[in-house]
Amino acid sequence: MPGRRVLITGVGSYLGTLLAARLEREPEVEAVIGIDTRPPRAELERTELHDADIRDPGIARLIQTAEPDAVVHNKIVRQPGPGMSSRAMHDINVIGSLQLLGACERVPSLRSIVIRGSAGIYGAEPHAPQFLDEEMTRLFPLRTRFQRDVAEIENYFETFSRRRPRVTCTMLRYQPAIGPSLDTQINRYLSQPACPTYLGFDPRVQLVHEHDALEALLAAIRNPVRGAVNVAGRGTIGLTRMIRLAGRPPLPVAGPLFAPVTRAARRLGMSAYSEDFRRLLRYGRAVDIRRLEEEVSYQPRYSTVAAVQDWIARRHEARAA
Amino acid sequence: MSEPAGVDAALGFMRRLREGLDAGLEFPDAVARGAAALPRDARQTVQRAVRRLEGDYAEDEWGFDEGFAELVEPFFGFLYDRWWRVKVTGARRVPAHGGAMLAANHAGILPWDATMISVALLREHPLPRHPRFMVLNWAFDLPWVSVFMRKVGGVVASPYNALRLLEQEQLVAVFPEGVRGIGKPYTERYRLQRFGRGGFVEIALRAGAPIVPVAVVGSEEIYPKLADVPSLARLIGAPFFPVTPTFPWLGPLGAIPLPSRWRIEFCEPIETAHMGPEAASDRAAVLELTERVRDVVQQALYANLVRRGPAFI
Repeated sequence: MPGRRVLITGVGSYLGTLLAARLEREPEVEAVIGIDTRPPRAELERTELHDADIRDPGIARLIQTAEPDAVVHNKIVRQPGPGMSSRAMHDINVIGSLQLLGACERVPSLRSIVIRGSAGIYGAEPHAPQFLDEEMTRLFPLRTRFQRDVAEIENYFETFSRRRPRVTCTMLRYQPAIGPSLDTQINRYLSQPACPTYLGFDPRVQLVHEHDALEALLAAIRNPVRGAVNVAGRGTIGLTRMIRLAGRPPLPVAGPLFAPVTRAARRLGMSAYSEDFRRLLRYGRAVDIRRLEEEVSYQPRYSTVAAVQDWIARRHEARAA
Repeated sequence: MSEPAGVDAALGFMRRLREGLDAGLEFPDAVARGAAALPRDARQTVQRAVRRLEGDYAEDEWGFDEGFAELVEPFFGFLYDRWWRVKVTGARRVPAHGGAMLAANHAGILPWDATMISVALLREHPLPRHPRFMVLNWAFDLPWVSVFMRKVGGVVASPYNALRLLEQEQLVAVFPEGVRGIGKPYTERYRLQRFGRGGFVEIALRAGAPIVPVAVVGSEEIYPKLADVPSLARLIGAPFFPVTPTFPWLGPLGAIPLPSRWRIEFCEPIETAHMGPEAASDRAAVLELTERVRDVVQQALYANLVRRGPAFI
């Protein structure tokens, strides 16, 4: 498909910038349009940057004049950064997605929307099947605010794709990412002097390497499929094993004390734990990635264990340098 | 008079460990150095423990940890040989390759029967492999129990898990009686409950895997349930709260199972591949096959009860 025009929200995030840089190098991509309130992380050559907030209704006009045929929605906040309230996070995620979709309604050239969503929609449940597939979002009640937000976002996109069947909506459900360049909750967790765990629990967790996080987005832009697709590395890793590989001591904390202890540790400068992340540390979660491999035709390069090992190796290199 | 060799070796180990720590070594390195002069068996055990502390062990995608399963094998071996004196017949009937489903009767809130089926296959089968077993969901809420279960091959009792395991050509043990089986009062022991709605047969049909009926005699006497206290069960979120001759009177000691004599029989496998995966949506065929499996297990239970004789001596 020559002469493609791709619009990226959240281009100021690490992954957004990297995606724009990769698309710039693709000969069949005619134009890359980036939207964010933050500047990109690196110099971009031919991306048209727009300083705009997706919560602002003004982006409708912006998107209409850009005439994209593909929109990559990369502005879903997974954990509030420093100085961001959970209220602002909810607004960016839910109101932002709503504004973006409203704008997309009036773009006749649009063919596909790729959303960098979250596997957080499944929650972390002790009784869940060991590998959740894309149909299993309704097995358990939505327990956390973030889970409800993600469910709401998915709902908007479902409604949109029913109303506009010519547009293919691909909802990529990402497992937590790990990688040397990213600043994720897992990276921060494993970089602490000691890693708090739930006493008596050692769940299986599943991660996606930053390389695969980017490549999966590109694969979905090239080969859009309808509906939800799980994105993760193959296999799982036991939480304790991951902490030990990272050379950190696990710090078991009894269940009822976990939230107060980590809140107190936060005041001492350790990282914050969202409710979703706490449930993940207690019960873990893994997804079935057959749809990614077979329908999107993307085979992740790193398994979960390899992703953790790569992150550790790169960190040692960085220290040595 | 010289001290026994074991004490000598242990003292030497402690001395070298302290020297290592004084010399500024990290704890795992100091342990490894201290272990250098131990007898070979002990040295290997210590080195293995150090490697595990550094995260150097393998778990598969289900969380099954073969190294851990080997580590706890002596404990289950003791239960198998001495405590329950298990006798096994028909282990060779279990297919050596490919996916297969073991369907057994079920008793006791802790899945001792599943672990004994595992040991039986590892000991008696010419090509042993670790079976994976479906564990009552409740166990995965519990600290330690949940970790232990997944490390020795237990998975959440869900049809999705069973199907994926069979597609990966694993041996899957299911207990179709489910919670009705483990909650049976003592007077109803060895009377099989309804086998659910035949969900396990549906999965076997979809995967084309043979079903091996398994009869476990002995497991239904280890926790003789005399009464049930539903209000206490609700309080701790358990499916029932059993009252046995030892529990809750002796506290945690009440969890020690009684030493009954066990017999495990693996019956002739029932092939399903020729019926095709479409048969999974044929209600009548599924229920008929379910009843057939239940009947085979029930007959084998009665036959083995007679062969075993008295329960405890």
